[in-house]
Amino acid sequence: MNLHSPINRRTMLKGAGVSLALPLLESVGWTAGVNPAKPPVRLGFMYMPHGVIMDEFWPESPETYHTSPPPAIESLRPILDQCLIMKGISGVPIAPFGGAPHALELSTWLTATLPDADTRSRINIAISADQIMANYVGAHTLLPSLELATMPQTWKENQAGLHEAYYSHCSYRSPTQPVPAEIDPRNVLNRLFGKQGQAGRVTTANPLDRQMLDRVLGGARDLRRTLARTDQQKLDEYLDSVRSVERRIAAIETRQKEAALEKAGVRTSKRDTNDSPPIEVRIPEGDKRSEYMQVMCDLNVLAFQTDTTRVCTYIGSTPNGVSYPELGFTDKHHSQTHHENREEMVRKVAAITKFNIDQFAYMVNKMANLREGDGTLLDNCIMMWGSGLEDGNKHTRENLPFIIAGTGGGTINSGRFLPDVQGNQGDLLTTLLACAGVPVDRPLGIATKQITQIFADV
Amino acid sequence: MMEANARIMTMPRQIQFIRRTAAVLLACNLIPGLLSGAATVAIAEERDDPALQSNDAQAEAELRADAERTFKKKVEPFVKKYCISCHGPRPEAGINLQSALQSPGATSSFLHWKKAVANVKLHDMPPDDADTIPTDDERRQFIEWISKLKYLAPRDPGPFVIRRLSKVEYRNTLHDLYGVAPSIADSLPEEVVGEGYLNSISPLQSELFLDIANKVIDQVVAPEGQPPTEVQKRLFGESPPRDVDLREAARNVARSLARDAYRRPPTEAELDVLVGIFDLGRENKLSYTASLSLMWKAILVSPQFLFITPAGEVDSKDSIVPLDDYQLASRLSYLLWSAPPDAELSGLADKGELRKPEVLRAQAERLLIHPRARALFDGFGAQWLGVNGLERQTFDPDVFPQMTPVLRKAMVEEARLFFESIVRENQPVFRFVDSDYTFLNEPLAAIYGLEQSVQGPTMRRVKLENPNRGGILGMPATLATTSFPNRTSPVKRGVWVLEQILGERVPPPPPNVPELEEQEQKNLEGLTLRQRTELHQSEPTCANCHRVLDPIGFGLENFDAIGRWREKDDVGVKIDAAGKLPNGESFSTPAELKRLLAERKADLARNLTERLMAYALGRQLEGYDEIVIDQLIVKIAPDDYRMRTMILEVITSYLFTHRKVKG
Repeated sequence: MNLHSPINRRTMLKGAGVSLALPLLESVGWTAGVNPAKPPVRLGFMYMPHGVIMDEFWPESPETYHTSPPPAIESLRPILDQCLIMKGISGVPIAPFGGAPHALELSTWLTATLPDADTRSRINIAISADQIMANYVGAHTLLPSLELATMPQTWKENQAGLHEAYYSHCSYRSPTQPVPAEIDPRNVLNRLFGKQGQAGRVTTANPLDRQMLDRVLGGARDLRRTLARTDQQKLDEYLDSVRSVERRIAAIETRQKEAALEKAGVRTSKRDTNDSPPIEVRIPEGDKRSEYMQVMCDLNVLAFQTDTTRVCTYIGSTPNGVSYPELGFTDKHHSQTHHENREEMVRKVAAITKFNIDQFAYMVNKMANLREGDGTLLDNCIMMWGSGLEDGNKHTRENLPFIIAGTGGGTINSGRFLPDVQGNQGDLLTTLLACAGVPVDRPLGIATKQITQIFADV
Repeated sequence: MMEANARIMTMPRQIQFIRRTAAVLLACNLIPGLLSGAATVAIAEERDDPALQSNDAQAEAELRADAERTFKKKVEPFVKKYCISCHGPRPEAGINLQSALQSPGATSSFLHWKKAVANVKLHDMPPDDADTIPTDDERRQFIEWISKLKYLAPRDPGPFVIRRLSKVEYRNTLHDLYGVAPSIADSLPEEVVGEGYLNSISPLQSELFLDIANKVIDQVVAPEGQPPTEVQKRLFGESPPRDVDLREAARNVARSLARDAYRRPPTEAELDVLVGIFDLGRENKLSYTASLSLMWKAILVSPQFLFITPAGEVDSKDSIVPLDDYQLASRLSYLLWSAPPDAELSGLADKGELRKPEVLRAQAERLLIHPRARALFDGFGAQWLGVNGLERQTFDPDVFPQMTPVLRKAMVEEARLFFESIVRENQPVFRFVDSDYTFLNEPLAAIYGLEQSVQGPTMRRVKLENPNRGGILGMPATLATTSFPNRTSPVKRGVWVLEQILGERVPPPPPNVPELEEQEQKNLEGLTLRQRTELHQSEPTCANCHRVLDPIGFGLENFDAIGRWREKDDVGVKIDAAGKLPNGESFSTPAELKRLLAERKADLARNLTERLMAYALGRQLEGYDEIVIDQLIVKIAPDDYRMRTMILEVITSYLFTHRKVKG
């Protein structure tokens, strides 16, 4: 394992083979919002497949949550008062797709909706919670949303006739449009902050590109008129994605203008001068899983801290065969989850669960230590960690494990364990969107209500 | 198409009947005790053989009516008697036969029937403790009735929705058209093409398409003031003289750029858009060349480049139309080469010749024997054999230190060269299972114990004397792919043979039981792997399937987890590879197993045909597709189901050459 040396802020991206103009980064801050004086709420999701060992995850009682938290969440101890754990959130009943528990644990996770049974061989599900948020706040930031993962989303396995992509995607921009995740940290850096072109030329946003794209879109709309209906729907996905690129270019232009003004001594950023400077990101060179997962966490933190996006979905691992050599065994995650209560396998699943939660803890602990406005970055975030199954051994979904860190700008009454909330996955997502300030005009998926116990008394 | 079908019609009825019967017989092979009933099937088939009147609409209508009657009068009573109590309104295992009975031909019912048949076939359903159990004869009839399901489907080639180029196709296209290195597209998310191809586009991809377009232009177009590159001259032409209308010159450049990039002639309206973008550059004080570059960039991010789009407006009258020549050229070229049509193919499309079946067939043949057809292995063959993940698969380095990148690569190369030889030499499909040659280099020869005779790193064709080798059953790449990091898995190998080679549908293990291989692990020390695995067969929930799967897997136990021959297993006990196929045929060595499987020529061919068709269409097969496959199999049977012939039939099939645009 070739360990890298820490990189200071000024050179932080050089090690990654990319670089960025720091003044640009210095100036970034939230650029719009309902109340410009108040930092915006950011919403993040981090996923682990196959459920947990329940005895190791659920606190015994609301009291022991603080005094003797269960082993799985040990690494959250420093910020337990900023975390919320709820028992009683049930998953989507997957009855018509009984043979596809793993294809559905991820794809229903943020949609709270089953794939359409009649068209199961194609992708046809529902827009996911993160993309609903992105539709609402995405226009304010350089990227409408950020999707991260640690494995290529190319798993091919056909369960119950479902399209293979259900296995590896949880973000859906529309019912038929899964959003692929970025798995290379270098590419993420490029996306977030642009990069240095060849021969030292800094690639800047080209305003002509935006106008060019505008005309391409015009041409695409002409083409659309000549197409069959099914083709038109496909083209609509194209139009949507290109409009998003246009917005990104516009946002980069704004950043560049602000950077120029800052350089000339005119303050443009809404960031508080007391705010912590942007964090350092180190791209690991080896293949250690913890480091890989953590650099993706760092990128999530950096993207939120610099208000480059307000929505991030991070598939920490997928349901297809991740192994964790750092834990001293090479068994694939899934192979251990059908443990039938055999001690060694239970121990391994518990270790894998803790490992995943440790990475989440790494991320939210970091956020809790970054100053922003009157509080910390975490104060203004809603970071949800969870799994799509409760118990991987029996494929149960009655009490899905979730941890919600951050108070969403004071909207969430955190620091608690709620042992009996009685709601479902859709209820939870609907509630979190409401906390993030997204006006939800209809409940998400199977939701019937909001989970009011979450709300802080305002 | 008409010609092709006419040929079926004139084929002697006798031959077709024999083929048809043979297929039914072979399909019964897996089912214990059913062979005795096959004669009855044959007689029934003779009276009313469905495959004969293939293209006749009236015949199809009659078959449909017959199938409707069968479902009403026969399937319904069977289901009500044996299935409905568990698979009714509160369906167990997600199989709802109540709703399937209500609309048996609906797409949504298709999978329920397929699963039902698979389970009834393997005696997995109804469960052994059910009140009433169908007789073997009833099981056979049920299977036969359900095989009529396809006739309920109306004639339908399926939609050919405009398709985005896959990552591989995109990078090959940039390489072919502009000479840039394919690695220029590395930043795009990984994806797998074929059945269930994810034909969508996201903001991330669009950003990257723009980003990559910038890189292409940076590489091809010389900086201002420097002489143009060769490719630049080819794309942009010479700088126009001063007195020429620059917009007119730009329009001509646009026309030729777009012809290649859109894989069809651009419309005048499309050229207007492009020249408008050239103007945009000029208005912003860009040079002529820089304005052309901006226009070219627009082409590279246009849907006409990123998607395979039809050349003209769809006539709104018809709900099913043939692909236009340009679409057909693209579909063909991307199928076989994962690359855009070359000059010859484009020229034929321009002339409107490609839609002629004989021209299409000749072009497909030309592409197939070209070295670039390795794309068919990379995209299809490797996925079919399951070897596409071998280079990344985990092996325990303590147990198998030999599994170096060099060896893994040689293993996949062996599979590729073997696959390609069967295509190129137009060998019968069964040769995949039973052949007497392979391709080796020195590291790989060591796995075969042939390192004395094969030296050096170059792969070459080698004649094999050992009958246990030769063919994909005794091939290190497939044997390794179906193993665990530290040992073999007879279960995985059994499933692989049944599903990938014979095209059987193996029901998944019941939910909520541990995967069988994991049951093998604990508390069973001292037992051989076979003894341990045979424990599955004493578990009632597992037994029905595993007594089919396991013997096949054990028949390959002489090959270790990386494909080396061995006489003794991991604990030093002599390997017992003897077993029986469900139809009672017995074998005692891999060579004998191989020979038995190779005899299933029709099953092997049908499986591969269905898989290739699904890959070619980029979707799962359903309903009417089966009828087309039936016709195709009948056609390739007389000549022993040859591989290249089969590919050509897929390419010239109704499904590949037509699309549904409405309804």
